[in-house]
Amino acid sequence: MERKEKFEQLVVRWILVVLPTLLIGVYTIRALNFSYTALTTSLISQSLWFSLGLFVAYTLYYYRARWIVTLVLLWVAYALGERIISRLPGEFDVFYTTARFQLYSTLFLFGWGFGLLLAKIRWSYILIFGVLVVATLVIAADTIDLSIEYLLVNLFPVLIYGLYMYFLSPLLRDRIEISWKQSGRLVLRLAGFLLVILLAFVITDRLLRGTVKAVEKELAARGAKGDKEGKGGEGQDKKDDYDDRYGLMDHDDDGFRLKDTMKVNTRMSQSDRLMFCAKLDNYFDNGDPQPLYFVYHYLTRYDPVKESFTRDVNVPSSDEFEVDPAELPMYYSYMDTSIIRKAKGPRLRKIVNAQVYLSADAWKHAVLGPANVFSIQTIPVEKDFQKQFLSAYRTQSYVSELNNAYFVYNVSASPMLEGFQEQRHEELREVIDYRGVDPAFYEYYTRQPTGGIYDSISKLAHSLAPKHVKPIDKVLAVRDFFLRRNENGKRIFRYTLKPGRMDDPNIPSSKMLYDFLFKTHAGYCTYYAGASLFMLRALGIPARFTTGFATVNRSDKNKGWYWFYASQAHAWTQVYFPEYGWLDFDMTIGNEDQQSAPKPDGTPPLPPPDPWLVLDAKAESLDLPAKRITVSFQSLLYLEKPYLLKNPLTRPIDVSMCRVLLNKKDTTLAVLQPGDSIIVVSYKDEAREIPVLRKGAPIDPQVAAFPSPIIADEIHIRRPEEKKKEPEKEGNSLLDEEKKKKITFEEIAWMVAKGLAGIAVLLLLAPLLYLVYRIIRQALARGTSRADEVYRSALYRLHMAGLERESETPLEYARRMVDPQLQAGFESFMLTYLRLKYSGQPMRPEDREIVDRLANTLGSSIRRKTGIAGGILNYFNLLRALRYFQQPISSPEPETHAL
Amino acid sequence: MTAASKLLALTSNIERIIRGKPQEIKYVITALIARGHILLEDNPGAGKTVLAKTLAQSISEAATDFHAPSGGVSFKRVQFTPDLLPMDLIGSYIFDESKKDFVFKRGPLFTHVLLADEINRASPKVQSALLECMAENQISSGDTTFELDPFFFTIATQNPIEMEGTYPLPAAQLDRFFMKISMGYVTEEVEFDIYTNYLEIGDSKHTVKQVLAYQDIINLQKEAEKVHIHQELVRGIVRLVQSTRHHPEIALGCSTRGGITFIKCLKAWALVNQRDFVIEDDIKALAQPVLHHRLIFRNREAAQTVLGKLTDAEVNRLAKMGINNKA
Repeated sequence: MERKEKFEQLVVRWILVVLPTLLIGVYTIRALNFSYTALTTSLISQSLWFSLGLFVAYTLYYYRARWIVTLVLLWVAYALGERIISRLPGEFDVFYTTARFQLYSTLFLFGWGFGLLLAKIRWSYILIFGVLVVATLVIAADTIDLSIEYLLVNLFPVLIYGLYMYFLSPLLRDRIEISWKQSGRLVLRLAGFLLVILLAFVITDRLLRGTVKAVEKELAARGAKGDKEGKGGEGQDKKDDYDDRYGLMDHDDDGFRLKDTMKVNTRMSQSDRLMFCAKLDNYFDNGDPQPLYFVYHYLTRYDPVKESFTRDVNVPSSDEFEVDPAELPMYYSYMDTSIIRKAKGPRLRKIVNAQVYLSADAWKHAVLGPANVFSIQTIPVEKDFQKQFLSAYRTQSYVSELNNAYFVYNVSASPMLEGFQEQRHEELREVIDYRGVDPAFYEYYTRQPTGGIYDSISKLAHSLAPKHVKPIDKVLAVRDFFLRRNENGKRIFRYTLKPGRMDDPNIPSSKMLYDFLFKTHAGYCTYYAGASLFMLRALGIPARFTTGFATVNRSDKNKGWYWFYASQAHAWTQVYFPEYGWLDFDMTIGNEDQQSAPKPDGTPPLPPPDPWLVLDAKAESLDLPAKRITVSFQSLLYLEKPYLLKNPLTRPIDVSMCRVLLNKKDTTLAVLQPGDSIIVVSYKDEAREIPVLRKGAPIDPQVAAFPSPIIADEIHIRRPEEKKKEPEKEGNSLLDEEKKKKITFEEIAWMVAKGLAGIAVLLLLAPLLYLVYRIIRQALARGTSRADEVYRSALYRLHMAGLERESETPLEYARRMVDPQLQAGFESFMLTYLRLKYSGQPMRPEDREIVDRLANTLGSSIRRKTGIAGGILNYFNLLRALRYFQQPISSPEPETHAL
Repeated sequence: MTAASKLLALTSNIERIIRGKPQEIKYVITALIARGHILLEDNPGAGKTVLAKTLAQSISEAATDFHAPSGGVSFKRVQFTPDLLPMDLIGSYIFDESKKDFVFKRGPLFTHVLLADEINRASPKVQSALLECMAENQISSGDTTFELDPFFFTIATQNPIEMEGTYPLPAAQLDRFFMKISMGYVTEEVEFDIYTNYLEIGDSKHTVKQVLAYQDIINLQKEAEKVHIHQELVRGIVRLVQSTRHHPEIALGCSTRGGITFIKCLKAWALVNQRDFVIEDDIKALAQPVLHHRLIFRNREAAQTVLGKLTDAEVNRLAKMGINNKA
C-alpha cells in the first residue's frame, strides 16, 4: 500500500517537477543549438540524453539511491565509454564519435545533476534557475544587436520556470494531495500567477521602453567609441558638443556624413568620433606608406545666393562614383565603367586598392576612397571587430602617381618628401595651358561670380601670379600666398577653428571669406579651400572644392593602415591638369598651436577569407535543429566572378558551422525565416577539389559539380529596415503593415491607458452606482419584494454610513448597532422582515406600513449622523464597499454562553 | 393563557431566582420544551442545582402520581460518584413482608426533573443506564420495563476542571444531550444584587411560585412542534451540518440525529422567544449549544472558532437571501 502511494507521489512529481524542468532544459538546449553551431547533432537526440539523465536521476534519488555509489557508477560508465570509443577504427569517425560522446555525456550529466538536485534539495531549483539564466545570458551575449527586449523575451521562459518552481516548492515538502479539486486550484493559481507576471512584463516593457532605448543608445555609442578614450569626461564633452550647424558634417540615423553644401562660418565644431579605418595599398618606392586623401564628394558649384559650395547634378563628364554600399549584397562588387571611361589623365596613372571599415558613427551609405573610385566590393567585418565597425568594403581607384597627401601638410617633414614635391612640380610643368580642354568643361570649372568682394579676390589672385606662367606655378603662387611670413618670420595665415567674431553670427559668409583673405588671415580648411578655389578659378585654372578626410600617418605599426576620426573631416581643392587629371592641392596651413595629442590608431581588423562561392539566394525551407536549410538562387559569385544562371536552382546548405549576420550584425540562426533573402558564403578552402572553370565555359555544369550540401561559412540575412522606407511607396504591403502595427501599438497603449483610467473612475464610482441601482430597485418593487429591496438597500446604506455589520446577524445588528445610534426603527423592520421571510405568513397592512416607514425615514436618519457631504463622501470609501460584498469574518473570540 | 405568556411567566419566574442569566435560562427551557435533556458544564456553585430546582418548582403538579416535595413536578437530585451502581438510580426489588413478595422500590430516576450532578464521575455502567432512560424514556430492571413519564427531563452537570477519577462521556452519549451549555459567572453588578437579595430575604428556596402546571408544559411541547420552519432555513441547516462533515479541522461531523435535534431545538427556541416561526438568528444562537458537543475537532483552536465561522457563513448566506429565495 505504502509502496503504491509512494509511486503515486513519484508520478505526481514527474508531472509537476520533472516535466517542466525537462521542458525548460530542452528549450535552453534548443537556444544553445541556434547559437552554437558546433553542437552538430540533432536537437532530438540531445534532448533525449538530457531527459534520460534527468528522469533516471530523479527517479533513483526519489527512491533514496546512494548518490556516491551512483556517481561512481556513472563515472565508471563514462570511462568505459570513452575507452571503447577511442579504440574505434578510422580517424574521421573517431573524431566525430568522440565529439558526440562528449556532448551526449555532458548533457546526460547535466540532466543527472538537475535530477539529483531536484530530488535531494528542496531549494535546488534556485541553483537550476541560476544555471539556466547564465546559459541564456551566454547565448544572448553572443548576439551583437543585443536589446533589452530580446533579452527579456529570451529570459521569459526561464523566469516563468523559476517562479513556477518557487510557487511549487512548498508543496513538495509533504505528500501532495491527489485530487481534482487540488489540481484545479493549482492550475487556477498558476494561471493567475502567469497573468500577473505577464502583466508586469508588459507594463515594465511599456513604462521602461524609453529608458531602455536611451540606455541602449548610450551603450552603443560607448561601444563604438571604444574604451581607449583617455580622459573620459573631456572626450565625452567634446563629442556631445558637436554641432551640426558649424561642423563639416551633419548626421542622421545612419551616421555622420560630410555636408553636401558648405560655406565658411564663424567657427567650426569638431568631434573625436572614429569614422572609419582603411588600408591603403599605396607606397613609395622604398616601401614607406604614401597616404592619400579620402574623397567623399566634389562640391563643384558655387552658389552666390547662399554663398556656399554645393554639389551639382549637371557636372560635365562627372567622375564621381555613386553607389550605396549599404545596398550592395555581401561580396558583390560594383564597377562603374563610365568612370573608367571618363577618368581624366591617363598619364602616370595607377590603380590603388583600399579597404574601408566604417564605424557605427559613419554614414553607412558613404563611399570613401582615394580619388577616383571606380569599383567597390562589400566584405564582412570580422566578428571581434563588429562592435567597432559596422560595415566594410574594398575599393579600387585610379590615382595619379603625382597625387599624395603631402602637399602643404607636413611639407618640410623630410627631405624625401620635399624631393617628391619638387619632382612632382617639375613633372606638372609639362602642362603649359588648357588649350586642348573641352571648352564646356573648362568653363564649368573656372566659373565664378563677379562683383564686390569676388572681384577683389580675383584682383588679389592676379596680383600674385603673372599671366604668362604655367598653371602649376600659378597654383604654387597661391600656395605661397598662404605660406607668407611677416617681417618677424611669423606666418601671416593661421589655422583656427574659431575665425569669426562670436558676437556677430549673422555676418555674410562671403564677407567672412573676404575678411579672411584681407584682414584676419585666420580660418579653417573651408576658408583655405574656398579662398584658393576662387583664386585659382580667377587665374583660369580649373579647380573644384573637395570634401573628404585628411589622411594622417601616425604610426608605423601597421603599414598602410590609417584611422580616420571625425576631426579629420576636411575640405581642400583639386586642380585639373590635362593628361594628369585631377590632383589634390591642399592649401590649408597646418595648425601650429594644435595641442591635442594624435589619436591612437587601433588594431586593424583581420581581412575576411576569400570565398569560392557566394550565392544571392532565398531561404526556401529551414530545418534548424538539423542545421540544414534549402535555398534557391540564380545569381552567384564563383571564384569572385559573377554569374547568372539560366534557371533558378535549389540546393541544400549545411549551416552547422556557420556565422549568421542580420543586416551586417552578428546574430543566431534563430532569426532566419523562410523567404528571407540571404547571401550564402563559402570559403575557398572548402572547394579544394572543385576544378576551376575554364574561361568562357558555361557555369551551369560547374554548379552541378558543387558539393551537396554546400557548406556555408557565412549567411548574411538581408531585411529591409522599416524606418528607411517611405510608407507611401506602393506595393510595399509588408511595410504598410509594419507601419499599421506601429500605429496600433501606440493606439493600444493609449487605449489601455484610457481603459485603465475609465476602470479607475468606474471603480471609484462603483459604490455610488450600486446605491443608485438599489434605490431604483426599491422604488420599483411592490409587496414582499419591496420589503426585500428595502432590506437590501438599508443594509448597504447603513454599511456605507460606517455601521459595518460584522459577524452578527442583521437582527442583532439592528438591535446592537443601528438603533442605538440612529433610532431608525430598524429592529422593528427586521422583525417584520424576518417574519415575512420565514414564517410563511402573508403580508399584512401593518407590515407594509413598517416597511414604508423605514424606506422613508432611513435616509434622514443616516443624514442626521453623517451630514449630507459626509454621506456622499462615504460612498467613495472603496475598501468599505469591498468589505460589504465580502463574507463577514467571524469574531475570533469564542462565544461566551457555550463552551 | 397563550403559549407566549406562559413561557414569559416561566422565564420571569426563574429569572427572579437566577439572576443575570436570561440566555441560559432560555436554553434550559428550550431543552425542556423540545423534550430533550441538557448538559451543564460548569464549576461548582454556578447555580446549576438552583436552576434545576427552580425550574421544577415553577411547574405545579397535576395528574401525576409522583410525589413532589413542594407541590411542583417532582425533582430529584443524584450526586454521581464512582461507587454509584445502576441499582441506586433505577431502584431495586425488595421483599415486602406484608405481601410476601418482591416489590420494586423505585429509584431517583422516577421523577420529572432529574439533576444528575457530576455525571462524569460515575462509572460508564451508571452513565449508560441513565442515558438509556434519557433516550428511551423507559427503565429496564430485570425483566420488567417501566415507562417513564413523558415529561422526564434531565439536567446533567459535569465539572470541567477535575479530570482525575472521571469517566468522560463518550461521543455517542454526549449526543443524547440536546444541548451542552456553560453557565459561567455573572457580572459584578448582578452578583452584588444576588448577595443583597440573599441578605434581605434569606434562602430563596421557599419563595418560588408555581406558575405553570404539568399540563402546560406538555401543551407547550406540542405547541413547539407546530412552529413553522422555512424550507430555506432547513436547507441552511443541511448545508451547515454537511459543512461540519467536510471541514478539514473537524474529525467527526454532526450526525443526522444531531441535525434533527437541531431542528427540534430551533422550534422550541423560537417558541421560547415568543415566535411561531424560526429565523436565521435562531440558528446562530443555537449552533454552539446544540452542535458543538457533537463534533470532534482536530485541535483546540479549531474547537473554539470553526463552528462559529461555519455558522456565521451560513447565517450570512441566509441573510443575503431575499424573501422570494433569490440569492
